[in-house]
Formats: sequence, C-alpha cells, structure tokens
Amino acid sequence: MGLSLHEAVEDRETSPLASQHFLLYFFNHQTRNLEPSGNIDIKVSISLRIFLVSDPNMAANFWTSSHCKQLLDQEEVDVVPPLDKEKGITLEDFKHIKMHMANYIWKLAQHVKVRQRVVATAVTYMRRVYTRKSMTEYDPRLVAPTCLYLASKAEESTVQARLLVFYIKKLYTDEKYRYDRYEIKDILEMEMKILEALNYYLVVFHPYRALSQLLQDASLNDISMTQLTWGLLNDTYRMDLILVHAPHLIALACIYIASVLREKDTTAWFEELRVDMNVVKNISMEILDFYENQRMIGDDRIIAALSKLNLKP
Amino acid sequence: MGDTNSNNGNNTNNNNKKPEWLQQYDLLGKIGEGTYGLVFLARIKSSTNRGKSIAIKKFKQSKDGDGVSPTAIREIMLLREISHENVVKLVNVHINHVDMSLYLAFDYAEHDLYEIIRHHRDKVNHSISSYTVKSFLWQLLNGLNYLHSNWIIHRDLKPSNILVMGEGDEQGVVKIADFGLARIYQAPLKSLADNGVVVTIWYRAPELLLGAKHYTSAVDMWAVGCIFAELLTLKPLFQGAEVKATPNPFQLDQLDKIFKVLGHPTLEKWPTLASLPHWQQDVQHIQGHKYDNTGLNTVVHLPPKSAAYDLLSKMLEYDPRKRITAAQALEHEYFRNDPLPGRNALVSPNADKAVNYPTRPVDRTTDFEGTTSLQPSQPVSSGNAVSGSIPGAHGGTLRSGPRQMPVGPSTATGEKKGHWNGDDWIPSTAEIKALRLWRHTGSERYIWFIMLELIRYLSECKVEMLCHHYLETLSFISRRQNLKIKDHRVYLFSVRCLSALTSILLLQVLMVSWEVKEAPTAH
Repeated sequence: MGLSLHEAVEDRETSPLASQHFLLYFFNHQTRNLEPSGNIDIKVSISLRIFLVSDPNMAANFWTSSHCKQLLDQEEVDVVPPLDKEKGITLEDFKHIKMHMANYIWKLAQHVKVRQRVVATAVTYMRRVYTRKSMTEYDPRLVAPTCLYLASKAEESTVQARLLVFYIKKLYTDEKYRYDRYEIKDILEMEMKILEALNYYLVVFHPYRALSQLLQDASLNDISMTQLTWGLLNDTYRMDLILVHAPHLIALACIYIASVLREKDTTAWFEELRVDMNVVKNISMEILDFYENQRMIGDDRIIAALSKLNLKP
Repeated sequence: MGDTNSNNGNNTNNNNKKPEWLQQYDLLGKIGEGTYGLVFLARIKSSTNRGKSIAIKKFKQSKDGDGVSPTAIREIMLLREISHENVVKLVNVHINHVDMSLYLAFDYAEHDLYEIIRHHRDKVNHSISSYTVKSFLWQLLNGLNYLHSNWIIHRDLKPSNILVMGEGDEQGVVKIADFGLARIYQAPLKSLADNGVVVTIWYRAPELLLGAKHYTSAVDMWAVGCIFAELLTLKPLFQGAEVKATPNPFQLDQLDKIFKVLGHPTLEKWPTLASLPHWQQDVQHIQGHKYDNTGLNTVVHLPPKSAAYDLLSKMLEYDPRKRITAAQALEHEYFRNDPLPGRNALVSPNADKAVNYPTRPVDRTTDFEGTTSLQPSQPVSSGNAVSGSIPGAHGGTLRSGPRQMPVGPSTATGEKKGHWNGDDWIPSTAEIKALRLWRHTGSERYIWFIMLELIRYLSECKVEMLCHHYLETLSFISRRQNLKIKDHRVYLFSVRCLSALTSILLLQVLMVSWEVKEAPTAH
C-alpha cells in the first residue's frame, strides 16, 4: 500500500538540487502568495494526530518519543559553540560546514549503498552532536562518516567500518580537506563518543513516511509531485529543520511549496488538516531562503570556514 | 573477598584505573553470561539510592573491528524510548573508552520464570498457584500490549527473559527483558527473515518454522501461549530438538512436536498456509504423519470448557491473523474470574504463604573485566593451593598432586549444580572452577573432571534431551571447525564431549530396549 511507490522514489538518486531553478523562479514570482491566509488554528490538531499515529507505518509513537521531547527552538540550534567561536567561526560558517558535511555523508552513502533513511538519520545525528559539542573537539571530517556508520547500525543495515574507510580513502585522497586522515580505529572511538554526545537517544522520526501518506491523502501522489516533494525533502537535511520541527510539518511544507509551484489548489485540503498554517508557511519560507542563499556558497567558502577551525592536517 | 582477588596481577588491565562511573557501584559478582558478554550484580553506593541492586550488562567489543555491537545499539535505542511497569528499566549507560566496552545498567530482578518453573519442578514438587500463574500472565500481556502498541516486537520471549522482582516495593512484578532482538517494525529495511530467524526454537511460532518472510506481533503471542502452558505444567510445551547447522528456518522436529499436540493445520483453518515456503517444499515430511485430534487439554490438564483453556487455545491458534492479540487477551474472561490477578504475583492478597524462591547465584570471583581470580572459594587442605592465585603460577604447582583438584563431587553440597536451561549448558560452580583451571594450566585433568560432571548430568537425562544435546554439540563442533588455535582446546573438548555423549546415548537407548529401570551413575 503505497510502499512500492515510496520505495521506488527512495531508491532513485534524486539530485538534491535538481529542482533548484524552478524554485528560484518560484521564489521570485510567488512569494507574495505565502502570506498567512488568516486561517490559523491551534497547533497540531487532534484530527491530524489521529491520522498520523493510528497509521501502522508511522511506527512507535512520535508524540511520546525522545525525538519529540528533544525538539529545539531555532535560536538554540543557531549557537556557535564557544570553542569554535574563539577561532573566529561565525554562525554562517557553522551552518556551511554542517551543510557541507551533510553532503559528504550523502556522497559516502551512495558508495556504500545505504538507503535515504539511513542518510537522513546520520545527518540528524551529526546535527544533534553539534548542538552540544564543538567542531574543534569533534572534528567534522570524522564525525560525519562515523554518524553514517552509527546510523547504519541503528537502521539495521550495518556497513562495515572497513568499507567506509576504503571509500573515504578512494574518494578523497587528493582533496584539501584531508578526509582520509582517519582510520578504522578513529571511527570506532568516535562512535562511542557520539553515542555519549547523543545521550544514547537514537530513534529519529523522518518526514518521508508522513510525506507519502499525506500526498496520498491529498490525492497528489502522481509521479511528478512525488519526485518534486521528495527532492525538496532531501534538501531539508542540508538545514537544521529536523532538529526544530515535527517531521509531518516538514513534509507539509514540502507539499505546500510543491503545490504552489505546480499550481495545485490545496487550500481546502490544508484547512481540513487543521494544522497551524503559519508554521507550515514559515518552514516553507526557510526552505526557499535556503535555496536562494545556497547559490552563493562556493567551495572556497567551505575551505575558508574549515581552515578557521585549524584542524590537524 | 572478591575485591582482593581481582587484584591478582594476572590480568593485563590495571584495576586501580577504574573508570569514574564504576566507582558509584559496589560490584558483587557475575550473574550471567551470553554471547554478547557478561552480566554483573552491583549495588549503588550513592546516598539517594543506597543499596539498590543493579544488573549491569557488559557488551564485549566485537573482535572483527566493528565497534559497538548492533545488538547493543538496538537494545539501547529501544529501551531509551520505552517506559512501562512491566518492561525492564534501563537505568544508565556507561562507556569505558579505554577498552571500548559498553555497559547497560538495569534495575535488578531477583527471579525469572525459568528459575521459578525449575524450582517448582525440581525442588518443591508442586505446581505454581493459580493466582501466581494468572498474575504472571496478566502482567506479561500488559507489558507486551504496551510494546506492541508502540510497534515493537520482542521476538525472543522465553521464560528466562521474563524477570520477576524480588523483595522490595516492586515484589512480584513481572518485567520483560532482553531486547537485543526486538525490532520496531516500521517499514523493515530488510525483510526480517533475512537477518536470520530468531526466537528460541521451543517458543517459535509455526509460521516462522514454515519459513514466513515477515513477522508480526503474533509471534510473541505464540510464545506467551507456550509460556502459559509451561507455567501450568512446569514442562516446556513443545520440546523439539533443534538443528542448528542449517540457515534454513525449517525445523521438522519442532513442527512435529506442535502437530502432535495441536493436530495438523489445515487450509480451511489457515488459508495462507499454502503460501509458506516450507509447507510446499517439504510437503511429504511435514504431512507425513497425520495428527488430527487436538490433545492440548490433556497435555495441560485443563477442562476443555475452562476459561484458561479457551485463552490458551486462542494463543496457540495456527493462523497468525486469527491468533489472539495482547490487548484482546487482557480482556479475556480468564482474568475476570477468581482468583483475580494482582500486582505482586508472588504473594496473593488472601494467601497463606509465599513460596521461597532461591536467589540468583552470584559468581563472586569474576570482576568487571571478566577476568576470574583463581582462588577457589572452597579452601583446599594443602598449603600449595594458594599458589593458584599467585600471578604467573602455571601448571607446575597445580599439577603437583591429585589433592590439588580444587573441586570434586564432595564439594557439590550447597553449590549450584550444572543444568541445561533450554539454550545453554549452565555449568555448576565446581565445573566453572575446573574450567578456569583448565584454561589456565592446560592440564587434562580438569577436562576430565568437567566431562565427569557433564556425564553425571547426562545420565539423568531423558533420551529426548540427550538427542537434543547431541545435535547441539554436533552443530557446535561444525561451527567451530574454522576457529583459531586459541579456541582449539574448546573444540577438542567438545569433540570429547560428543564421544561421551554418543556412548551415553547408546547406553540409554539400549537400556530402554532392555527395560532396565535404573540409570547408570557416573562411578
């Protein structure tokens, strides 16, 4: 039930930025429509809760999960750890490095062949680590692959550390970033440090399942909409949204953007869901802002930011 | 006493450099051992929870350089999310960065259903009171209902995984434990069957035995049914002999045991049966015998019209889709009839007296590193015995005379006897000591002692169990054949065991045919 489509999309190598030029177009022409429509409701209403929770595929209960309890405010996420600040890392740098590391996890994952879910969990772990630890102490070049390693175990598709190191060396030997300076032993040590930093909370709820259910519910589950929203959703992991918002709200924001872009009228459907449209629209704005800014970030920016950290060569 | 022993320098780890977290506990000793690692009993030192008992599960660092074991990760992951009175509570997680080991600290439970059943069967020789059985079952279902409603399947329910709290505010409360195999069953990334079919064979549901690809929470309910019957009769309901050597989930003997009691499943009663791989492939084997009359009520000694029997037969329903769920079972008439189930399963509200169950044996000679001190707890008459605990003392001194044998049949009084727990051979205290000495000295004498102990146990066994052990040992040997030199002695030992087993088996079979009444003794 919906699973085959779901999986079909998940396995597709959707380029994260495939939809970028559409979005820029969209950003320039449609922003005005994003003003709150005045139909604001109390947070997440009962009807949506029941819809999401009573569905078997939603798995364990998000509302009682550690993930739900750990959600942070944006201001809490946007704090540069003191140690990194001393080295001159700005909030921008901090975000860029995290984004870059999310991309790195993504690339590695494609080689060791794990599914999108595992990548999403790994990126979430990495982002959670940096809400508590500094990049100075926890070298992102090691944290990123280790998060992928840990996530692969948590999601029951264990990747061997040996294989991971093999690909890191194969892919990144010549780069300035020197990802390849770490060995199996370092990954295993870091795995334990990350477990500790995560306070042993490992269950992460992702918007993917909610997305396919919601699309189906809105009868928008044609190939084009599914692909577009899926690509958007993948891109949200390049930001900190998963630490701040409940997964179904992120899914709704992706649907919202896609439906405006493809000129589908979903107003009535959103109203029926009785979610806080302000939140959904705000998330949508953040996503669009991200696409706009993202164009300006070149490799040089990343290198500059990383070099400020003064990590071991 | 254990503390002083652990300072013996034979181990490479320096005990003075205890990690900080460890110092909040008083280590009492080892209480269990599994493939994942060791379990210890400890007490909290801090003033708030002073004297509270804690079970600490230590996960070994996997040898193949793959970090924290995925089993440990899954167990932590699930236990961090759930909290229920009838589910074991994870109190703390600790990491020792020095030797990269991981420790999970749980609230300690003094008893488990395996030991309780064994106590009734072997010691007091009377059945478990109906109040206690009902309370165990209700609480077990209550915990399971919580897990299932959170989309978690346990997959390895068996009496030894169902703990019961000892004296204290939670006395007689059931706790489901051991989540190493449990899964959240949201969209499994791999079909669960690909990860190796789990669940101890005696409690394994028929659909799994027949090769079902996806499991549901119904597999846990089958196990509960088997446990319910075992609580009533004190004997495992379906004691099949496991064939471990094949990756194939098909277990003919186990299925045969089930069919013998419940009758053959039919397509009318279980329509999806035809789609199960082994029902088709092994048709002539499975359907070779025809059992059609249900003998369940005679096996469990329940009147067929009783509520207890009705509930049991609904748990042991062949078709997983028709099998009763935990939520439905909690609503069953059985729990509304007298005696009503209670929170303290061990002491009924209008009870005369509670059964005194034995406490868990604690091996006080093992420290957190898993290294054992060599000093035998039973002082040996000759003075040289002390040399056993002197670092670097190898075989020489220990071999000096037969009275060096630290253990023997005479020391057995008051010590734990060796037994089979359905999964593993649980060695006697004397045997553990002998094993330790054997590992340390390499002296053959100890192997022979262990063999003697085993033979003693085996000679009391029924033929069925012997076959079971025989197959176990055989598959153990086949698994061990490509081991490193270090484990070679273990291999050799099991080969010897096998030959001993073969002769005992033969002897017993012969005895049966000669109608000899008395079992041979070890002497």
